[in-house]
Amino acid sequence: MSDLRLTNEKAVGSSVLPDEARPLLDGEGRFLNDISFAGMYHVAFLRSQHAHALLREVDVSRAKDLPGVIRVLTGADLLGKVEPFRAMPNRFSGGESTQHWLAVEKVRFVGEAICAVVAEDRATAEDAIELIEVDYDPLPVISGPREGEKDTSPLVHDTCANNNLIKRKYVRGEIDEAFATAHLVVKRDFSIARKQALCLEGRGCVAAWREGGFQLSIWMSHQLPYVVRHYIAKHLGLPETDVRVIAPQTGGGFGQKASIYPEEFVCAHLARLLRRPVKWVEDRLENMVASTHAREQEIELEAAFDEDGRILGLRSEIWVDVGAYSTYLWSAGMEPLQTGGLMPGPYRVPALQYNTRGVATNKTPTGPYRAVGRPSASASLELLLNEAARKLDLDPAEIRRRNLILQDEMPFRNANNLIHEHVGYMPCLRMAMAEAGYEDLRAGQAAASGNGKLRGIGVACFAELTGLGTTTAVGPGTLLQPGRDAVTLRLETSGVLTIAAALPSQGQRIATAMRQVAADELGIALEDISCLTSDTGMAPYGFGTFASRTAVFGSGAVIQAASELRRRMIALAAFLLEEPEKELSIINSVIKNLDGSKMLTLSDMAERSFFSAKDIPQELNQGFEVTAFYDPKHGSFAAGAHIVVVDVDTETGAIEIVRYVAAEDVGRLINPAVVEGQIIGGIAQGVGEALLEELIYDDQGQPLTVTLADYIVPSALEVPNIELHHANTPSGALGGFKGCGEGSIIGALSGIACAVSDALARRGGDIHAFPATPERVLRGLGVDLGD
Amino acid sequence: MAWEQEIELKVNGRAYAKRVSVRTSLGDFLRDQLHLTGTHLGCEHGVCGACTVSVDGKSARSCLMLAVQADGTDIVTIEGLRDEDGEWSVMQKAFFENFAVQCGFCTPGMLSSAIELLKENPDPSEDEIREHLSGNICRCSGYQAIVEAVQAAAAAQRAEVQV
Repeated sequence: MSDLRLTNEKAVGSSVLPDEARPLLDGEGRFLNDISFAGMYHVAFLRSQHAHALLREVDVSRAKDLPGVIRVLTGADLLGKVEPFRAMPNRFSGGESTQHWLAVEKVRFVGEAICAVVAEDRATAEDAIELIEVDYDPLPVISGPREGEKDTSPLVHDTCANNNLIKRKYVRGEIDEAFATAHLVVKRDFSIARKQALCLEGRGCVAAWREGGFQLSIWMSHQLPYVVRHYIAKHLGLPETDVRVIAPQTGGGFGQKASIYPEEFVCAHLARLLRRPVKWVEDRLENMVASTHAREQEIELEAAFDEDGRILGLRSEIWVDVGAYSTYLWSAGMEPLQTGGLMPGPYRVPALQYNTRGVATNKTPTGPYRAVGRPSASASLELLLNEAARKLDLDPAEIRRRNLILQDEMPFRNANNLIHEHVGYMPCLRMAMAEAGYEDLRAGQAAASGNGKLRGIGVACFAELTGLGTTTAVGPGTLLQPGRDAVTLRLETSGVLTIAAALPSQGQRIATAMRQVAADELGIALEDISCLTSDTGMAPYGFGTFASRTAVFGSGAVIQAASELRRRMIALAAFLLEEPEKELSIINSVIKNLDGSKMLTLSDMAERSFFSAKDIPQELNQGFEVTAFYDPKHGSFAAGAHIVVVDVDTETGAIEIVRYVAAEDVGRLINPAVVEGQIIGGIAQGVGEALLEELIYDDQGQPLTVTLADYIVPSALEVPNIELHHANTPSGALGGFKGCGEGSIIGALSGIACAVSDALARRGGDIHAFPATPERVLRGLGVDLGD
Repeated sequence: MAWEQEIELKVNGRAYAKRVSVRTSLGDFLRDQLHLTGTHLGCEHGVCGACTVSVDGKSARSCLMLAVQADGTDIVTIEGLRDEDGEWSVMQKAFFENFAVQCGFCTPGMLSSAIELLKENPDPSEDEIREHLSGNICRCSGYQAIVEAVQAAAAAQRAEVQV
């Protein structure tokens, strides 16, 4: 392919300003809720007030009589008409869960949809919700995974023994021998609270139906339009060709908009039933209980070390509270399997054992969220490494240096069966230490403590598998194996290029990135390239945007399609200019011969190829539209090392992040400013995960954090200035690209957790549960809180 | 429920006289009755700041204010930020050039708060910028690019004044 590569290397690597951000600065973004049609109805949902209850009676008669109400739908109305969600089979699966779109007979979490009301406007629909009477018969509530998996526990689903929606035991290497012969064994527990993505825009959809072809169009705030299209067709019994899914401007995704939920499917059904466009937009109170949560894990980890502090083996027991249903498509396996499987991170681990389970409880289902399972895997091991370092009298950085997989050992197959290659763990650590002035930070740590302050320094290294191809699963064990995506390149008759792909952006500037790659591959000026990324009616097949994959897949497919498109362009130009192909090049949308004496603009050529085809031999005029699939086969490891300095107030338990230094390897950069925005944005969410964000339930399964006043996300005051440095190693994927959307949240949780633990250790304290709220910090210092 | 009232107000320089339901929030009124959908509703309980607009020169959460309370006021939304020549304001330009927009949902409120800050304090420190924007949640950017944009806008504005 290299001989076909174009010479113009200017766009990739430049911080090209993203044209797709322009409408957002004028208030013309056209998010889901900004789309309306004449005669459109509005939908609101009645949601369960109980965590676990039988539905004795649902009386909708008063709601139906309210003026302005069009239809009230119950679970019974859908039975036999649509197909409920059955958890995707998983080869390690425990039990199965069936989720009706509107609850039938039983509710399993607070917030589960029971009725849908359609009215002329949203306010009337909400008024009608108040008029529905539900007679609940409460059942015992399962509020935690350790209780839930006991033989005596009530069941969330009768089909699921011990409430194990997923269970897997994995052993590789001589694990028992590793522990028997170890110089040192360190055992440590870790827990992380339940949290959620908190996209500023909630979920929502507009569904419109018309008779004839292409019957159902649905605008949906979603990351996977083609996957939604397939499943809408399947569950509503429609031909797939009749369904078009458009993901409009989307106000954040972070994985929460990568699952399939009941509400949008109910709206699609309603549009068909009522022959009118219907709109549902999730409000914040709904979003806090009806969109997937994440994390909520308890981990017991032990590691065996030799006398030099080298890891001999890792053993863990993992409990994940996965909530009431196995999330549709991804299953309940996401967090439990990834936390166990990815525990070794960037370190050499000769023997690995984990026993992991996802336990059903009466809480909102958990689903994919930025860096599924990896932050807790990483933080639990990083904290353990610190404890081992203390026992071995090593500096925390030194024990990491001794265990990181080195580049001259690569390709390196670790005990979790993943192959490390084209990634620089040690360069990241070295760069972070140099930029932070690590030795000086340590030397000044004692002096910076005192006057009611404890200074802590955290060092964390992580590995992040991105851009997963067909041989590496995103959700291990699930049937969903999203390993390839397509891009169509079309040179329009005016000579401008359209890139079409089903890779919607939630702010990652995918369109700009693909334009940059295409510009370099084809020699077409950036301003002559536009990009469509969100419409199944216009784009070739693609899985969508998640799992730090989109830039890798989109760029790889652009490179592949560009190679064929360029061949066709050069072949036609050679005929028209009467010059040999090999002497032609395309620069800035103009095809030229070697000495520049002959030139042909792309607009001229494209126009002639379409409008004056009779003058051109057919074999040279195959059309300028090329679709190519790209499958990177394996994934590409990205990496990072974060060094965090915190001050802990021993009086209040408050934590201030004093400095934050990150060195990251995210492969060859397409658009550095965009990449930095992704990395820093991930760190900000990690600040929330480490210090603030916690969804709290009482023991009756009632959520106590349902507004943004109770669920605290970081503001500009809590996120420090991030000193970001690049230690990039090109990947083995086309173009050398890696994903960069998720990795930094891993380093943020780990780095901050290690810094807080390091601070508390100065007074003999420690911390095992996160987020590190003031209460947990004070408890970690042994302060008596009077309970 | 359906009590209505007449209100008169100015939005982005244009005068309106409208009948509104007394329970309609200013945010819903701007979006649904004036079709100014650039104002975004992120939480509808006054925490996230996405719906922030300028009412008589002061920031207001349009989700907490009722449309009837806006009777007689002069409001500026994101749709009214361009200057008379149709060019981007200094703040819009700075947000664009500093990559301060990712998903863009918080952007209308951020712009409104940032513009208010520079009116009160043409040369704010980083801490003052962070403090002033602390009522506007951004879930994408980590705030750094936004802070840099406000600094760039402040510098550009000061340069303009000197010329």
